[in-house]
Amino acid sequence: MEGGKQVPVGQGLFTWPSDEPRLIGTHCKSCGDYFFPKTFTCHNPKCKEKQIEEVTLSRKGKLWSYSILYYPPPPPFVAPDPFVPIPIVEVEIPEGLKIIGMTEDCDPKDLRFGMEMELVVGKLYTDKTGNDMIGWKFRPVR
Amino acid sequence: MKEVAILGVGLHAWGKFPEKSWTQMLVETAKEALKDAGVEWTDIQALVASSQLWGGRKGIYAGNYFAEAMGETGMSIINVNNACATAGSVMSVACMTILSGAADLVMAAGADKSPKGFFPSIPVYHEEPLPSVDTIRWNMGFPNPVFWALECQKRMDRYGVTETHLAKVKVAMSKHGALNPKARYRKQFTIEEVLNSAMVADPLRLYEICATSDGAGTVVLASMEKARQYTTKPIIVAASSVASGVYGDPTARIPSLGIMPKPGVPIISESYVAAKTAYEQAGIGPEDIDFIELPDNSSWHPLQYLETMGFCKEGESHHLFDEDAVLIGGRLPVCPSGGFSSFGEATTAQGFVQVYELVQQLRGQAGARQVKGANVGIAEVYGAAANNAALVLKT
Repeated sequence: MEGGKQVPVGQGLFTWPSDEPRLIGTHCKSCGDYFFPKTFTCHNPKCKEKQIEEVTLSRKGKLWSYSILYYPPPPPFVAPDPFVPIPIVEVEIPEGLKIIGMTEDCDPKDLRFGMEMELVVGKLYTDKTGNDMIGWKFRPVR
Repeated sequence: MKEVAILGVGLHAWGKFPEKSWTQMLVETAKEALKDAGVEWTDIQALVASSQLWGGRKGIYAGNYFAEAMGETGMSIINVNNACATAGSVMSVACMTILSGAADLVMAAGADKSPKGFFPSIPVYHEEPLPSVDTIRWNMGFPNPVFWALECQKRMDRYGVTETHLAKVKVAMSKHGALNPKARYRKQFTIEEVLNSAMVADPLRLYEICATSDGAGTVVLASMEKARQYTTKPIIVAASSVASGVYGDPTARIPSLGIMPKPGVPIISESYVAAKTAYEQAGIGPEDIDFIELPDNSSWHPLQYLETMGFCKEGESHHLFDEDAVLIGGRLPVCPSGGFSSFGEATTAQGFVQVYELVQQLRGQAGARQVKGANVGIAEVYGAAANNAALVLKT
């Protein structure tokens, strides 16, 4: 939008701007678990050594679940205006993490459990002040 | 071994009461509970109260402002907040107060008023390096029903649950709510009416998601020794447990955006652990339970909770709704109170609906809602941040 800034939906969540944006998470080198959003420590209670490192996460995964929100949630939730129902998905990535996110180019009729999805980063909506809110989205791999 | 008894209960009707402060609502229920118990306010030795999120400063120190209205006596006051599991957690702290010997006559009390529209943000005033996941999900527009819907969709794919089953859950709850004068919604729904209601977060429809309400409830508890001075028929607290989430829980828990499941960790682990602990404390199993109060925030919840609380095998709960087993008169009555579905949710006061119902049932005073031969009942209530409380009461 003219004159508007691009604002990420939160700090430290994804690499951006980037030719191939990825989600930023953490990985524990000791127990092997992954965390998103990134954490300052390993959250595994059985992990004694806790060696956390920042990592970028796989871009492709499989559809684990989905929903479609049909009404714009009121404040403090933010939603595009006019509101268009689009699928919200839970995607399993190879790290074992399941990521919840918006979708792009995703027709509800095409949703199938296990289908391949890939991550993009782009505009979620334009907010009231004219800024573009930037966030992660999944789209079907075609 | 020391035991805890319930002497009296009071419950305000659930609904919207803009003309009354929550303090006034709570004082009314306290008077009802004290009269029920045959106890004076000045006999109460300790107060455990629900601390609210939406009521500002007065809501946080709810117990103190309530005690001010009842008359300050210098008693111990603990304000508790465990999200929507608060009332059950308040009960647990009240029991522990008695079991420790610190007091033998305790009041558990909770009131809450839901804000207009949706739950607002809880402001953060101190500096944090990164935004909370809650803030991020607000910015992405993911309200609570989305998370329940994600779980519900999985259930439908894995176990053959249909949208008709989701509607049947609402219909069953509404049949019970119609019989409860304290319930806010008393209309009996048909499957068609529910399926014709607007889709909110696929697959959950408007009538399949509970509303939000104002409510208040009070319980008078005593050591068994003390209780026998007041009654020959105390209701016995067989178990009062609190539990939290286990690492590796596969549930899309509000407001998570990244879930790291680990093998063998049960879904809604906080509820699984609290129920298991309650059965162990009470020395019983699910087969000994005569009726259940569970947190039916949406049609998904009873389907999951019946399995988590051990009443049927994984993936089979929807059959109980096909058989009408869950109705009063059936073999496993679920939410004879009418549930959150019929009351709407009053967050930190909600669990008191369940306690009130358990007591009425066990006393044989539930009227049209009476479960025949009700001798043991269980209530589970869960809340944000993986909190859960379970209560088993018996005659």
